[in-house]
Amino acid sequence: MNDQVQPLPLLDSLRAGISAPPAASAPPRLVKMRSFGIGEGSTVRISVAAGIAILALWWLIAQTGWVPHLFLPTPSEVINVARSIWEDGYANATLTEHVGASLLRILTAGVIAVSLGIPVGLLMGLNRWVKGVLDTPIEFYWPLPPLAYLPLMIIWLGIGEASKITLLTLAMFAPVVLSAQAGVRSLPLERVTAALSLGATRWQLLVEIVLPSALPEILTGIRIALGVGWSTLVAAELIAANRGIGYMIMSASHFLATDAVFVGIALIATCAFAFSYGMRLLERALVPWKGKS
Amino acid sequence: MLKVENASVFFAGRDKQVVHALDRVSLEIPERGFVVALGTSGCGKSTLLNAMAGFLPLSEGSITLDGKPVSGPGAERGVVFQKDSLLPWKSVLDNVALGLKFAGLPRNESRDRAQELLRLVGLQDFAKAAPYELSGGMRQRVGLARALAPDPKILLMDEPFGALDSMTREQMQELLVSVWVRTGKQVFFITHSIEEALFLGTEVIVMSPRPGRIVARFETDFVRRFAAEGDARAIKTEPAFAQLREEIRAIVHQSEDLVTS
Repeated sequence: MNDQVQPLPLLDSLRAGISAPPAASAPPRLVKMRSFGIGEGSTVRISVAAGIAILALWWLIAQTGWVPHLFLPTPSEVINVARSIWEDGYANATLTEHVGASLLRILTAGVIAVSLGIPVGLLMGLNRWVKGVLDTPIEFYWPLPPLAYLPLMIIWLGIGEASKITLLTLAMFAPVVLSAQAGVRSLPLERVTAALSLGATRWQLLVEIVLPSALPEILTGIRIALGVGWSTLVAAELIAANRGIGYMIMSASHFLATDAVFVGIALIATCAFAFSYGMRLLERALVPWKGKS
Repeated sequence: MLKVENASVFFAGRDKQVVHALDRVSLEIPERGFVVALGTSGCGKSTLLNAMAGFLPLSEGSITLDGKPVSGPGAERGVVFQKDSLLPWKSVLDNVALGLKFAGLPRNESRDRAQELLRLVGLQDFAKAAPYELSGGMRQRVGLARALAPDPKILLMDEPFGALDSMTREQMQELLVSVWVRTGKQVFFITHSIEEALFLGTEVIVMSPRPGRIVARFETDFVRRFAAEGDARAIKTEPAFAQLREEIRAIVHQSEDLVTS
């Protein structure tokens, strides 16, 4: 009998396998877990191709005259009209004045809605009385389409800027308030207890813990508010204004100037896209930690 | 010295039942003492810690720190949580300096002090990192440094290493001992690991559920010997260590049987 322990041949081959240098000629085949859904590949190229295809289809349909020009102008016609509006203005105002009027309204209303909505929303999330009292009016008016109370705004505040800005402020206020409230509700209790055990006062707790914790939700709320703001703004300008992108579209439609209507729609799309892109940049700058805590 | 006298806690449970979470618990944490509460979940150890921290009022009894009654959370009692509660929008350094900011210390001064504490827990090179970039063990070290920043009299630690893997856990235990020795704080530490309790505590109290109460107390000197000798493995493999561990295990199982039978 041989009592000596023999090294296992398997172990030796394992060691050899570990220390063996990787074959230089063939690069290793990289593998990853199978994914489900759209996976990680970028969709940008597909989206750009789809955009080009839609433009081409538009050009084709307009060019062949399947649809009368009155209803569907060609892309080049729209570009020409855009140029002439840029140079000569439209409906008694320059393009800058129209766009400026719209931007001024939505930005003024946005600033008021955000600077009132955040503190009100935070208070509603923190205080039972504030929530109890303010829930009633907010839950009542928030589901209403803003255009339903636009006539009331006009009766009360006249046809000028005040009624439109008030309408927009009301429309944008509710999403900001509701999101700030949701932000407070999703605040982890440990963050509060930790801050209190570090000696935070009520005010420090609000500024250092509650507000930053609610910030991701608040920014989402502001994004929603801007979306609501644009649709409300254009609708309000369609009804009662003598400046603004919505007014431009309305007066173009009175003259069946479909190409000018197209220009107006493109302007709104550009502005709204720029706003949402700006919000995305703001989110990246303010809450890079979103979803990572 | 932190002193708990006849502390009882009753919660409102479901269906108007009353839950007796803590039953006339008394204990003292002396200067430089390291008291570990050991027990299964539901034995009231977290309730006890929450009461000490001031998060939870007592139904009966009292808690005093150096003779002054504890009436709410405060900076003289630092808390380290099981789930780290670091602020993701602040750097590691600013997280540690949070308590100093609350106390109104000038920015430079609080940053210097925070940097010093990061050195104490071995994270001096991660001051600028974001908390979510760190591993679980590192985050708990930040939590420890943060709790130490306002220079509390006592550290209350609620299963701080419970979520860590066993290897990281042992490293953290040794780090905690060195911090404890260097700062000379009183510590109240909660765990459900018998070995951890024996290794860390100068006193181990064994708790049992329904109602939460203390069923046994042991004074040990393993941690002081580790602080002097520095060989954790040698201590944990000693017969005396193993014997006490089995003794405590028997007590824990016995008190569990009492409840279930």
